[in-house]
Amino acid sequence: MQEMALEGVRVLDFTRLGFGPQATLILGCLGAEVIRVESSRHPDGVRVIPPLIPAAGEKGEGFGGASLAAAAAAGSFNRGGTFYKYNTGGKKSITIDARHPEGLALLKRLVAVSDVVTESFAAGTLARWGLGYDVLKSVRPDVIYVSMCGFGHAGPDASHVTMGPTAQALTGLTALVGLPGRPPAGWSFSYLDHVGGYLGAVAVLHALRYRRRTGEGQHVDVTQLEPATVLAGPLLLDYLVNGRSTRRPGFPPGNRRLHPAGAPQGAYRCQGEDQWVVISCSSDAHWEGLVKALGQPAWADELAAPDVRMARLDALDGWVEEWTLQQDKYEAMHHLQAHGVPAGAVQDAADRLERDPQLAARGHFTRLRSTEVGELPLEGVPVRMSATPPHTGGRIRRGPPDLGEDTEAVLGDLLGVSGAEVAGLRDRGVLT
Amino acid sequence: MKVLELVDDSAEYCGRLLAGLGLDVIKLEPPEGALSRRRGPFVDGTDDSLHFRHYNVGKGSVVVRTDDDIRRQCEDADVLIHTLRKSEADGRGLEPERLLGVNPALVVCAITPFGQSGPWAEYLADDLVLMALGGSMAACGYGPADPPLACYGDQAWHTTNTYAAIAILAALWWRDTPTEAPATENRGQFIDVSGHECSASMTEWHVMTYLCTGQPMPRFAHGTLVATDGRHVCALTPDFLGPHVFRNLVAILAADGVAGPLSEPDFADPAYRAGHYGEVYRALKRLAERHDADELYRLGQSAGLPWGVVRAPEEVLDDPHLRARGHFVEIDGMTHVGAPFLAERDPFRLTRGAPRIGQDG
Repeated sequence: MQEMALEGVRVLDFTRLGFGPQATLILGCLGAEVIRVESSRHPDGVRVIPPLIPAAGEKGEGFGGASLAAAAAAGSFNRGGTFYKYNTGGKKSITIDARHPEGLALLKRLVAVSDVVTESFAAGTLARWGLGYDVLKSVRPDVIYVSMCGFGHAGPDASHVTMGPTAQALTGLTALVGLPGRPPAGWSFSYLDHVGGYLGAVAVLHALRYRRRTGEGQHVDVTQLEPATVLAGPLLLDYLVNGRSTRRPGFPPGNRRLHPAGAPQGAYRCQGEDQWVVISCSSDAHWEGLVKALGQPAWADELAAPDVRMARLDALDGWVEEWTLQQDKYEAMHHLQAHGVPAGAVQDAADRLERDPQLAARGHFTRLRSTEVGELPLEGVPVRMSATPPHTGGRIRRGPPDLGEDTEAVLGDLLGVSGAEVAGLRDRGVLT
Repeated sequence: MKVLELVDDSAEYCGRLLAGLGLDVIKLEPPEGALSRRRGPFVDGTDDSLHFRHYNVGKGSVVVRTDDDIRRQCEDADVLIHTLRKSEADGRGLEPERLLGVNPALVVCAITPFGQSGPWAEYLADDLVLMALGGSMAACGYGPADPPLACYGDQAWHTTNTYAAIAILAALWWRDTPTEAPATENRGQFIDVSGHECSASMTEWHVMTYLCTGQPMPRFAHGTLVATDGRHVCALTPDFLGPHVFRNLVAILAADGVAGPLSEPDFADPAYRAGHYGEVYRALKRLAERHDADELYRLGQSAGLPWGVVRAPEEVLDDPHLRARGHFVEIDGMTHVGAPFLAERDPFRLTRGAPRIGQDG
């Protein structure tokens, strides 16, 4: 096995839901040892969100509501949570009840042998358990403590809570998805769970490098809002400098882009039910390629000048769609690309998993075993590194952990707790 | 730490992030300047690009005229970020083997639409194409009657650039780890970042859900309430956060006298609620008819609910919480978005405005 970049870094991981675990997924895929601290009394909500992973011979269920009742019905915390499975590859799971005095003592001993502590609870939660930053520092003076919660630990609204869509609404990203004259369509999923998590990983890497230079640890306060404001940066400057608000007619412009503006540019219907191809021409070379690809149609003659194309966008879209409607979305994409036109099929998850030769050739999905549910195709850090390749299964080359499956091994290996002691701790309700 | 960037407008966010973290990021520009200097929006009536200013605060600039200049710059650099496809890099003598020959401790990071290998490696893509192929668009929009939609503003490239920054920081960490062999001076490497793969990695549970149900996620608009001032509010009531969510929701509805059937005991059972979600939605609508968007947002948050106003991007500039955290900073006479997180020590800091062409020699 090749070396991994973060080999030797240990992360004691109290994160939950989507945002925090995205950060520690990245650290694990880069080779850090990530130990999820969990509890069956207060399980991570995403472990039990349906749909459940079907057992052998079972048919999957539809997407629906979520409750602990679902886990009870399945009799397991390990079959639930497609939401959980996507960002826990390569991590270990231990169950320790932090509210039990012996549990708290064990957690402090684990902190003492960890480089990084991550968590995503509401501000103040860890302190109430007796694991505030001052306590962490007292057992590990150079500990790196990275908190990841909606509004962070400092500021007048620090008690506010977010999920991805909340943060997307508040930072303007919801408003940036939509057609002119219509209410915002927004994102149907939590883009900012990803973005917040990326910056959580950046925070850990930054603090590690600082610790190497100085020997000092620190608290880094990561929110779900601050990593997102930069994503609309040019629009903020356009407002601040030119007074141009995005609350203006025609904005957001659907799939059209203003800088650079292009024509044609957008999603066009193809053969089949709800199949689309995106075409995005932003230069004369793209336009000339498109005209050739479409067989020099008569309507193209009068559109040779870019400003004429921009003035007749709607008519142009109609003509382009007459062509795409006769095409399979992939055939359209390949044909246009062969003529130097930026184009891509609108792919859903099935397309990416089953019909995308580029993702397949790059080894994008890694099939990894999870103890109870078997093999799953998982995504990790989608970057290739020549000397220290990331791996979705981390150092342990394993899929998402079953609840508590590493408790005994972690306590034994890191703290020297014997099997007999573990049994006693279980009997006393410490390891649940 | 000296970071060189030889990039088009798809890959300047990575360097912005690294500059804020204290790395010395230098743009290698042709004499006429980087492409992004000519990308809008502009300061009205001028050719001063606000796009360029946003993505290049904190960086320096050096003019390079030849590929020899570029290789020379690499001799004492720690990182080179470029946007050359494999065929382009090979053709110019800027392939990783050659650059690592010049400087074996160099971290070379290529950020391209599809990466350096695979059947689509030479294909062209802008952000819109990456949002289509990656899966975001298939799930965003109003429904089957309308097209799939991509968020405005280079979001696939943002994810790609952030992954590039993560990989670079990890590569530097590994390179500088004290070790026997190979010695740190020989521990550079090549990082190959594909916009397509990064874009494909930002749709949460979509792949898993398809595996479990046999159905890809449908395309739907994110549901919001319309408040009395006509603004929209995201008003989530996710049961999986805990039983307090519904309990607190009923409390604020009841205080306004609009709880209706939700205060009946049946609704305390999540399974019953799931079957009668229409009543929950109607109660939320009744509440929204009594408050403007900011009131509704604060009311929900006072009950521990993850609610938020659907703001225009520029409205974040007035957010009292972000302002109190010092999130917006003045640089070179303009207000910029500042730190993505608050670090106690060595905090994220942008110390200079976007560079003039060749200002650093």
